[in-house]
Amino acid sequence: MAFNFNWSPLIADTSRARDMLTSALNKSPKPPIIVDDIIVTELNLGSTPPELEILEIGDLAEDRFRGIFKMSYTGDAFLTLKTRVQANPLNTYLSTKPSFASPQPLAAASGLTIPLQITLSDIRLSGFVILVFSRQKGLTIVFRNDPLESLKVSSTFDSIPFVRDYLQKEIEGQLRLLFMEDLPAILHRLSLQMFVPDYAEPEVNKETSERLQGPDEAVAPIDPLASPPQNPVDWTGDEEMRPFSLESSETHATFSQKNLLRLAALTESHRTLSLFTPSIRDTVFRAWAGAATGEYGEHTTGVQTPSYAALSLSRVNSSIGTLSSAASVSSKAASDSEVTSSRPSLVSYASTGSMGAPRSRTTNTRKRKKRVINLRRDKDGSESASSEGSRTTTSTPAPSVRGSSAPSVIAEEPEREQEEDLATPPRSPKVRFQSGGDSIDQDIDVTPRLRPTSNNETPPTYESSRTDFAPDVKSSKQPSLQPAPPLRSTKSSTYMPPHSHSPFPSNYPSTSPLFRSFSNSSLASTSAGSTSDTYSFGESSGGILEQAWMQKMAAEIARKVRDEKAALAFRERNVRAEPPPPAYGV
Amino acid sequence: MFGFMDYVQHAFYNATHWNHDNSYANLTATAQSLLNFDIPRGLRLHVSSLSAPNFATSYTLGSVGVVDGSISYLYSSLQLRAPSKSGEIDLRNVIRGYRHSRELRAPDNPYWWETWQRGKRTDRRDALLYGRLYLPRSTLEALYLRRISPTRQLKVSAVSDSTLANGGTVLAVLQNDYGKYSTEYLYSTDSGLLGVRGLYNFGPDPRHTPKLPPALEALQEPVVGRFSAGAELYYGLLNKSGGVSTGVRFTTLPRHTGFPYTMTVTLNPLMGNLSSTYAVKAGQNLALCSRFDFNFYSYESDLQLGMELWRRRQPSPAESDVEWATRLIRPGWKTASGTIGDPNPDVAGVLKTRVDQNWRIGVLWEGRIKELLFSLGVSFDLRRREQIFRAVGVELQYSS
Repeated sequence: MAFNFNWSPLIADTSRARDMLTSALNKSPKPPIIVDDIIVTELNLGSTPPELEILEIGDLAEDRFRGIFKMSYTGDAFLTLKTRVQANPLNTYLSTKPSFASPQPLAAASGLTIPLQITLSDIRLSGFVILVFSRQKGLTIVFRNDPLESLKVSSTFDSIPFVRDYLQKEIEGQLRLLFMEDLPAILHRLSLQMFVPDYAEPEVNKETSERLQGPDEAVAPIDPLASPPQNPVDWTGDEEMRPFSLESSETHATFSQKNLLRLAALTESHRTLSLFTPSIRDTVFRAWAGAATGEYGEHTTGVQTPSYAALSLSRVNSSIGTLSSAASVSSKAASDSEVTSSRPSLVSYASTGSMGAPRSRTTNTRKRKKRVINLRRDKDGSESASSEGSRTTTSTPAPSVRGSSAPSVIAEEPEREQEEDLATPPRSPKVRFQSGGDSIDQDIDVTPRLRPTSNNETPPTYESSRTDFAPDVKSSKQPSLQPAPPLRSTKSSTYMPPHSHSPFPSNYPSTSPLFRSFSNSSLASTSAGSTSDTYSFGESSGGILEQAWMQKMAAEIARKVRDEKAALAFRERNVRAEPPPPAYGV
Repeated sequence: MFGFMDYVQHAFYNATHWNHDNSYANLTATAQSLLNFDIPRGLRLHVSSLSAPNFATSYTLGSVGVVDGSISYLYSSLQLRAPSKSGEIDLRNVIRGYRHSRELRAPDNPYWWETWQRGKRTDRRDALLYGRLYLPRSTLEALYLRRISPTRQLKVSAVSDSTLANGGTVLAVLQNDYGKYSTEYLYSTDSGLLGVRGLYNFGPDPRHTPKLPPALEALQEPVVGRFSAGAELYYGLLNKSGGVSTGVRFTTLPRHTGFPYTMTVTLNPLMGNLSSTYAVKAGQNLALCSRFDFNFYSYESDLQLGMELWRRRQPSPAESDVEWATRLIRPGWKTASGTIGDPNPDVAGVLKTRVDQNWRIGVLWEGRIKELLFSLGVSFDLRRREQIFRAVGVELQYSS
């Protein structure tokens, strides 16, 4: 690899550079000793180019570059400045002082301006340069050390040694400052002016074309958010957006305009029951929820739960989207009443996925996070009404409104929770309730609860998945697997009060403690009124949408069952190896 | 135009018999007032009051793009009886124009200041305290003035401002005025500046006027002018830099029969700067002034011309009817409308202009409307065609 530096055009015409230097030197307020404009009369870059030695190239692509150079310059460049200075020290001293406490000399402060010509030559530079270039962030040059080795300053006052030494010292200091601070800033600004407007234009075009793409292309082959820029540019190209980094705790304040636009399109389409769905990256739509969970089964096993701080943050992020998307999702989901149990989680799920896009995490991470949020909320809510049996009733309403695809979602929800639980066992409040009983009791719990679910109301399609699923859980009778069932029940009990009008009291485990049955019955009584409404509404609006969805889900589930089987088997192996969570060790 | 606080401060000088003009710092006071007058910028309002003979307040509100202001208080241990209402203030006391040199006056005898009560001395040294706070900038100005003895005065002024180095600066000046000569010693905390100023008046010493019999006095040639010479020397202890200048002045005394004039020459030998001024009071209402600066190191030169034109108060129609009568009455006769034949009758305003060799022109009109003192100023720059008006300002003062 070779770099080709062309030095000769640089030295050809320096008049423009001279003008730029002149204006740059006169822009900032000058010290009072300089009483006239500073004019660059001569600028010659010399015939000897600086020597650059490549030490390291960290990153190299079409639009970005990062490297470390060793630079040394021993050329014959020189620069001549002309200005006028005030020679009376009393004059310059008094000009900066308030007149009230000034001695106000009569004539001792009268000025004497002297033209001054300074020539800087024999510039010797040597140092390490870090060069970072990216089309978006512009050019950054940092000198790792002080590059100025020596410099010869010749001026009008060379005959006076005191003044000569003073000028030499002052100018060297100023140049060091220039190299270390001002020059990088100037170059960065210039490069930003050059590149950023070019950058903003195609961004807008790309964004609009993306929106017009079909849902098939929703998942782009390359995820640009996987390696997010430190400074995302607004779609307007506004570089002045507030600084934005992945670690920032105020991410919720800066949503990308693009994503807001997409979300607006999404809610609009849902409001009108339009079938058009804009593609939003890193988003899980309700229709794909099953597929997504299938993936989780594989991915989330053994992965640590994200920290709680991150969770709360992502929930803040979703807060804007929740209102609109909740409405849209519920309008869809109202057709299948049983689904309600899993609906809240889905609502926040979809909205968070989309709103989280600007935070630019990878897809899996975000989904995982969201699920944990649901879990937490369940636990909080379920502290009072925590019945194990309620879960069973939830997923098995007696007058199951035709074979909607909803049960499949439910079936998955618990499973997801189960996986989640494996990841975070000690957080479940349910654990405390169950810890009183022995492990055998819990084993018995698991089996009957799942059995009736699959047998009673699920359509044949799901039957297979259910039965497959249930024995799996059952077969894993190790104490280590115990956390799963209690949590499942916890979750559905909070979300499902309207539907838990227990038509299957016999399904309740006989060994369940008293408070469980109590909570069940209370839930059943409170929800009696609301149930009828939901059902009627669901039946009236169930139609083509459901059919289509069912078709899709059938295919999904067939695949997912395979995945789950594998996942469970894998998990069993893993789980067995691990020591049981401390909460269940009692 | 002076601010109200400056007016009160000069009233204090007058009350304590301090000759403010007898100092090397005021050697070129006439040229300064005719050529270097301040032109107000923006709009500025002053509301002031000498609420008690010992206490004065002043509030200023200004607007040059941004609104700013200042609050100032003044306390004087000596009761000041100067007219304080803006409708009554003599304009010549607040507007500095051509300065008529007064006859030198011998300092008071120290025992005149003594007051004895039951065998104890009860007199105090007169002092003046002054403070001014600029509001948005949070700059504080403070002044302490004390007449230590009939020939001596201490003046300490301080500025506190966070933008200054060390947060502020203090200047102490010890002034001695013996009539015949005066000296000043000053010290500034900023870079440890030490300074000495001195002025010597040639001519008869006012302290030792020989008592001549009236017959001889009439024979003696009257002194119609005064020649003064002075010098100043500064040295900064911290920045090891200094400054020096010397100057002479000749000015006519009121007894001079021709038109009054003042000439000064100042020289800065270190920087090679030579400055000469010539001011003449060409008529009762007109004064002209010129200044020529030359630097014999850099051959730079500068020329400034200035003019002031006083406008008299129009005599009322009733007075014009009896004008023939007033002409007949001997001078010094006091009437309701003023003294007959007063050489300085009340004025209604003054117009000042100046122009320099770069065609920078300044015009200032100061006067009184009803109870308000106003000054209206414009400065032009004829060289810059695109931006001729450099500054425009109006300043209004009301005091009670």
